[in-house]
Amino acid sequence: MADKPTELPEDRTGKRPRDLPPANADQPKSNLPGARSLKPHWTERLATFDRRWVFLAMAIAIVVPFFAPLNLPVKASPRVRALYYSVESLHEGDVVFLSMDFDPASTPELAPFFRAVALHLKRKGVKMVLASTWYAAPPLVERYIREMVDRPLIGPDDTDYKGPPDRAYKQNVDYVWLGFREGKEAVIAAMGNDLRATFDHRAADGTPLADIPMMEGIHQLKDFDLIITISAGFPGTKEYVQQVQSRYDLPIVAACTAVSTTDLTPYYDAGQLLGLVGGMGAVAEYESLIGKPGLGTQGADVLNFGHLVVILAIVFGNFIYFAGRRQRRKRGQ
Amino acid sequence: MDLATIDLFGHWVGIFLTFCILSFLYKDNPFYKLAEHLFIGVSVGYIVTQQYYNVLEPKVVQAIASADHWYFNLALVPLVLVALLFVRSVSKRYAWIGRYPLAFVVALYAGIQINAVAQADLGQQMKRAMSDVVVDRTNVNTASAKVIQNMPGMSPDVAQKIVAHRDQQPFSSLDDLAGLDTLTADQRATLDEGRGHVTGLDARLAVTDGQIDWFGTLSRIFMVLGLIASLVYFYFSIAHKGAIGGVSRFGVWVLMIGFGASFGFTVQGRIALAIGRSMDILGLDKAPAVAEQIHGPLAALVVVAIIVFGLAVWELRSRRAR
Repeated sequence: MADKPTELPEDRTGKRPRDLPPANADQPKSNLPGARSLKPHWTERLATFDRRWVFLAMAIAIVVPFFAPLNLPVKASPRVRALYYSVESLHEGDVVFLSMDFDPASTPELAPFFRAVALHLKRKGVKMVLASTWYAAPPLVERYIREMVDRPLIGPDDTDYKGPPDRAYKQNVDYVWLGFREGKEAVIAAMGNDLRATFDHRAADGTPLADIPMMEGIHQLKDFDLIITISAGFPGTKEYVQQVQSRYDLPIVAACTAVSTTDLTPYYDAGQLLGLVGGMGAVAEYESLIGKPGLGTQGADVLNFGHLVVILAIVFGNFIYFAGRRQRRKRGQ
Repeated sequence: MDLATIDLFGHWVGIFLTFCILSFLYKDNPFYKLAEHLFIGVSVGYIVTQQYYNVLEPKVVQAIASADHWYFNLALVPLVLVALLFVRSVSKRYAWIGRYPLAFVVALYAGIQINAVAQADLGQQMKRAMSDVVVDRTNVNTASAKVIQNMPGMSPDVAQKIVAHRDQQPFSSLDDLAGLDTLTADQRATLDEGRGHVTGLDARLAVTDGQIDWFGTLSRIFMVLGLIASLVYFYFSIAHKGAIGGVSRFGVWVLMIGFGASFGFTVQGRIALAIGRSMDILGLDKAPAVAEQIHGPLAALVVVAIIVFGLAVWELRSRRAR
């Protein structure tokens, strides 16, 4: 096989950097006396293989399980179970505050949770007050309200669902959408002090909060029976814990993206969060508890395949690295 | 349910832009650039509109317009602070004035944050970290229902039933819990699932005081040692040799376990994004009636064909130009 110099990676413009010398410029030519063979070892070839094969493997691992699901059993972890019981312990007519702090990038992980918790709250007859501290959230939240709150989530086709049915909620009767407020953690601190003033005493549709019967007696965050934060980052659950939970001793449960889970787990361990659902896998656990498998369950099944690809890639990468290191030591490099 | 034309078009545009972004796997190309620039443009336009209608219009414009004396209004203060930020672009000599609004913002958020972080993170977390190293098992005959309900396999209802029973007759063995005649079949099954001698119910619950939760105790010891070792790793005033070197190496292992957990969750999050887009394209996250109108898989095939054709044309033209 002819000696082939190692290709330099292309830059973002698709051009090969021209000013750089060839990768093997400093190595002796093979026809000179004492020159080593330039034929790359198999570990070197594999170490520089096109990473797009990994993307292809991942794409296959994600798409195939949609058509051939494994339906692996889901067992709820204690922190998901704790969140479930926090919602389960609410009574008809109780009012919860939902902080919808996410953007389109986090919807695959958080939208399934909202769907599940909305069903859980609606079937118990719990009223909701929704607000957001993320500027990208309002169009999403308004769509979710139209699709999941204004309409019943359980239809006649849901024959596999064994739980109590839910019903269509009415705006400013069963739920209130306060909208978005800019100000990040300052807004969260302000809501803890005076929720109504923070939203200029009006709901997002302009209705004065004083005219909404379900808002009677609700002036601050501590007036809610439970606070549920659905958070993709800053500002979100962490800021709720820092700004209002410790100050007012509020009952807060949280759903977050997988990335945030390790940051928020210490708050759950210390009792500052009553329950925690982190990532798509945990949403599947929550769905199993409410008895309505949904997008989280479907996604978690696919997630297992994706994780398998990542694990294999890590094992493969480490194998190549250690085999290559052994070879380099043999060569005395 | 009939989908509005604008929504249908929106779904197709979404599918097209997804594959435009994925086309970067081939190389940087006009389709990728189109999607990238569109994303930035739409984001900036959206943010400006949101900020105007959420902040500037109600808090400044309306506040000043509705006041009796516009020149004697607190709403002017933020407006002046914003104006001061632009002094730098007018005069280099007076550019320092722009530091005042920045100092105001930094001071405001420092004031909001310091107390909150001290209370929630330092206070509460240290309180938890400084609790007893030896963890006792919870005594089912004396603990409150709220404590019992957090045990493996428990629920608020089961905890209430246990408390009601133990008030009549204390439990002499944990096996008696599953024998409670007030439990439903589901509750009994969940309770059985929660049993276990390492981290399960048997490890954390007891019928008398003074029983040690060995796994909990070992976890605490590991946490304390790990915390000290991690801090030693970042302590550079002493050479990391001998015993200090060993402790420091243990600290590295602890840190790597922490980073590994974070990395695992990050991978999960990224795969979840890919799953989300796949579900959207395949129409699995929509009602069947809506998915049928969108024809996601067909639209995806058409889009891929358009992009592949476009890339081929672009490559040919680029080669000719060279």
